[in-house]
Amino acid sequence: MLDTSSVVSEGQNKCAVKCPHCDSQILSVKSAALLSEAHPLPNPTQPKEQHSPITEDLAEWWVVEDMFTFDNIGFSHTVGTTKYLVCADCERGPLGWHDNTSKKSYVALARVKHV
Amino acid sequence: MADQDILTTLKILIIGESGVGKSSLLLRFTDDTFDIEQSATIGVDFKVKTVTVDGNTVKLAIWDTAGQERFRTLTPSYYRGAQGVILVYDVTKRNTFAKLNMWLDELETYSTRTDVIKMLVGNKIDKEKIEVSREDGLKFARRHAMLFIEASAKTRDGVQCAFEELVQKIVQTPGLWEMDHRPQGTFSVTDQRNDQDYCSYCSVL
Repeated sequence: MLDTSSVVSEGQNKCAVKCPHCDSQILSVKSAALLSEAHPLPNPTQPKEQHSPITEDLAEWWVVEDMFTFDNIGFSHTVGTTKYLVCADCERGPLGWHDNTSKKSYVALARVKHV
Repeated sequence: MADQDILTTLKILIIGESGVGKSSLLLRFTDDTFDIEQSATIGVDFKVKTVTVDGNTVKLAIWDTAGQERFRTLTPSYYRGAQGVILVYDVTKRNTFAKLNMWLDELETYSTRTDVIKMLVGNKIDKEKIEVSREDGLKFARRHAMLFIEASAKTRDGVQCAFEELVQKIVQTPGLWEMDHRPQGTFSVTDQRNDQDYCSYCSVL
């Protein structure tokens, strides 16, 4: 569980959200809403010859209703009913996931930088 | 960082033969590292990018065909609604240049707009074995009323300029984007400091 108080203001992101690796700006201030709900996300690094990805349950997400709310983001090809979110510039990730059905995107607070 | 309205949202396609560096162009937008061995795991489908050109902030949805060009003809939905197309060839591979006509034909067939802005990109100019001269590229671009730029995704030369020039041209063609204006309220601008820096790469040309 993260301490979210320093990055949340009125349920939204108080700071800009950036890629932790290359600083590419993902979300502008106050463009996403906080959701506290456990959801699995594949780990950024996976052991070789791993057939099904190792995931971790993450509890805090920035919910983005419209993909054009993002300043910069990459969407992976579809896996099942979701796409994974990667940095638009360095392509590292997954930084979150996108639900193809609801069209909502979820950025993991634990995988990004708040500036 | 100032808040600024988003002028419009544009769909940009990157097309061309396999191996010409389309994905690298999409990738090389604002960062410093270049991963020679691009990971071919799930792969990136499309990207949303925010650019500021002439004081206008525009959101781009950028699609590249990576992998799909194997099937020769892309689905019409890929072309639908695109306002801008970046057509890429590899300056070290003559055959990728020879295939440009085929790509233009396909674009003609499936494009839902008659005034799509096209840009020709001769990629990999950092390589030594050049098979397609700048003059040949320029001639082809002129004949087909396309913008033209030579680029190296590896050195970043020209890449940012390619997107900016294309966006500039689209924005200057109001019929292309006004209808698509999305009532989205306001957004904040991304790193303008980066946008400024990259203008210097235009001088390569």
